[in-house]
Amino acid sequence: MDLSGAHGSLCVVFYVRYLRNELVRRRGRTIVTLVGLGLGVALVVAIASLSNGLDHAQHKTLDPLGDIGTDLTVTLQPQQNQGGFGGGFGGGGAGRALVQANQSVITDLSKLGKPGTHFVHDFFLPGTQLTFPQSAARQIATLNGVAGTASGLTLLAEHQEGVVPKIVATLKTQAKTFTVTKRVRPSASDFAQMQACLQKQGITINPPGTNGGKSGGGFGGGGGRTRVFSGGNRQAFEKCLPKSLQQFRARFTSPSQTLRQVLNPPQTNITTTAYTIGGVDPAHPGMGVVTAAQVTKGSFLSPAGGQQALLATSYAAKHSLKIGSKLDLNGTQFTVVGLVEPPLGGQSADVYLPLKQLQPLANQKSLANVILVRADSSGDVSRVKQEIQNAVPQAQVASSKDVADRISGSLVDASNLSHDLGLALSIVAAVAAFLLAALLALSSVGKRVRELGTLKALGWTQRMVVRQVAGESLATGILGGVFGIVLGVVIALAVDAFGPTLQASSTTGGNLLGLGAGTARTATSTVSLTAPVGAAVLAIGFGLALLGGLIAGTAGALRAARLRPADALRQVE
Amino acid sequence: MTALYEVSGLAKVFQRGPAIVRALDGIDLEIEPGEFVALEGPSGSGKTTLLQILGALDRPSAGTVSFDGRDLARLADGDLAELRLRAFGFVFQQFNLIPTLTAAENVEVKLAPVGGTRERALELLAEVGLAHRADHLPAHMSGGEQQRVAIARALSVEPRVVLADEPTGNLDSATGGEIVGLLERLAAEHGSTVIVATHDAALASRAPRRIAMRDGKLAALAVA
Repeated sequence: MDLSGAHGSLCVVFYVRYLRNELVRRRGRTIVTLVGLGLGVALVVAIASLSNGLDHAQHKTLDPLGDIGTDLTVTLQPQQNQGGFGGGFGGGGAGRALVQANQSVITDLSKLGKPGTHFVHDFFLPGTQLTFPQSAARQIATLNGVAGTASGLTLLAEHQEGVVPKIVATLKTQAKTFTVTKRVRPSASDFAQMQACLQKQGITINPPGTNGGKSGGGFGGGGGRTRVFSGGNRQAFEKCLPKSLQQFRARFTSPSQTLRQVLNPPQTNITTTAYTIGGVDPAHPGMGVVTAAQVTKGSFLSPAGGQQALLATSYAAKHSLKIGSKLDLNGTQFTVVGLVEPPLGGQSADVYLPLKQLQPLANQKSLANVILVRADSSGDVSRVKQEIQNAVPQAQVASSKDVADRISGSLVDASNLSHDLGLALSIVAAVAAFLLAALLALSSVGKRVRELGTLKALGWTQRMVVRQVAGESLATGILGGVFGIVLGVVIALAVDAFGPTLQASSTTGGNLLGLGAGTARTATSTVSLTAPVGAAVLAIGFGLALLGGLIAGTAGALRAARLRPADALRQVE
Repeated sequence: MTALYEVSGLAKVFQRGPAIVRALDGIDLEIEPGEFVALEGPSGSGKTTLLQILGALDRPSAGTVSFDGRDLARLADGDLAELRLRAFGFVFQQFNLIPTLTAAENVEVKLAPVGGTRERALELLAEVGLAHRADHLPAHMSGGEQQRVAIARALSVEPRVVLADEPTGNLDSATGGEIVGLLERLAAEHGSTVIVATHDAALASRAPRRIAMRDGKLAALAVA
């Protein structure tokens, strides 16, 4: 007889009610099935999303220049035997010059201001990349296969802040005794004068030898008629002494002597913080050491290139700076207009300014230290690299791959891990979800063989029984799948929110020519692990749970429904 | 008037591991429409197997079972299902109600495929005296109540035959008596033939016709 027609809809209502009752009234079993399915699907979603996130991060590390619209970077690295840069680069200096430039940060306290005053100063050092005239970019632009160039200036900056110290030195000298020995003899004219003077006083001094046999030098001659020295004559004698004998004057020079005293260093509170700073040409927002594409918040520098700055997100967070904050660089106020997620590789910086603003600040007028080159096509990159190398032998030309090779850190490890394990884990999770769904559906049917036998004894056809069970499996699969997707998305969001941060650092320079590690440019990029959930992933996880449940449920139901009702009824529950 | 059932040389053999069990061994039998028949015999005598073959739940190993002129052995599975749905009503010893469905819904299980309504299910429940239990689950009903639901379910499609396998086996004797009484009365009202398998001689004695079975064969009735 025909079961459809007028009675069809009535039947369907009953079958749906039966289905609902099976799910609702066997709550325990339904919950176990849903949780099982949900976990399986969630696992697939979470692992696939995580793997996706790692791939994304990996792409960021492996194509660090791609983000800044560049295929190659051209820099000049100091080399031991390098003597200036010939060719079009022309300017700059050798390695020694670079060392000197980097040492210029030695603070000349006297130039900072009067002792006791507060000072803030930023020093800009070229790091390990030599500067050269910006015009060199034009030279490279003319090379075959070069689509475009942009010059940039990435510098190390030392920010010093503190109070100019006052230095007072106290020197204490020792007492000294000088002994001067000199014979004093009056000259003949002195003597004549003295004689005349004394005679006026009534004292006669015979010149030597005039007194005949009577010897007696000096004034002490014998008695005779003349008065000799006595107490009363003393004044007269003093009075008649020649001027040169009355006052003794002598000149002497003490021997040259160096006084040494160790001075305690003055107490100062000067603090130094290092950061990196990059100059960008704001007229070309698509190419440069940072590009408009990296702006995560706010806007890119205006084309006019005013006193605006971009900050790396990590740097802004560390120093509690945000859009609108003011940055004072040696008296020039820069307004932060945007936050950027700088690309990895040697050219990333914490602070970005318009190139024209940075150059005078850093005393690098019209100079740059990196040229970014874009090739006509990605296939041309290696050829262009060779061309640049030929044209400018001293230049270091790095491709995206070269830069990526220098990048290390947990991100790279995680990426490798993701590559090897992500796919395998996704498959394992997917298979697990599939098997779990199948197993749960099978066990559910296995426990209902007698019930299905009863249905057949009551006149249900095989098709009706299978349809009923398949309907239940489908409903369970949909509910479990939805639950799993929700759970998976929650896990993915949790990873986004609290997920581990992965680091990748790229170091250029290093212990070159005695420059300490401090002058090496290490760009560390922290990439928060994200788990972007793709629609495809959701569909796959959902589909697997649905299919697993449906196939197993239907297969189990088919097996039970094919039994003769008598055999099915004989099964012990 | 031809017989409802014409059974000749019916045998049913089961393979139980290495052993072969002859559950039915050469049964010849005729049952007329409207009869109330008791199949008597101890456990393992083949009552249930015979009942299942008569109810198209199983196929014979040998012999013919003709129902209303059609040989059940030659019918396709679909035709047998159709017969089970419209011509037969089963009552089991274990009641075999669907545990997740209410009393009314359990009746609907049989009614729905033939387009029966919930109202019809409630009418039948009223006939067995369970109108007030329509929305109760089997787990919340007594054995007697559950069996009454099963009887309502069996009779819901006005079947030609009601086949009851030890319908009182899980009930106390008083309830069992009531159930058999109900079965007798309703079968008469609905014009159904009733075949009851039982090992309870007292119950069997209420039937107008008694068929004794022993070791898969019909046996002479041990008249008390």
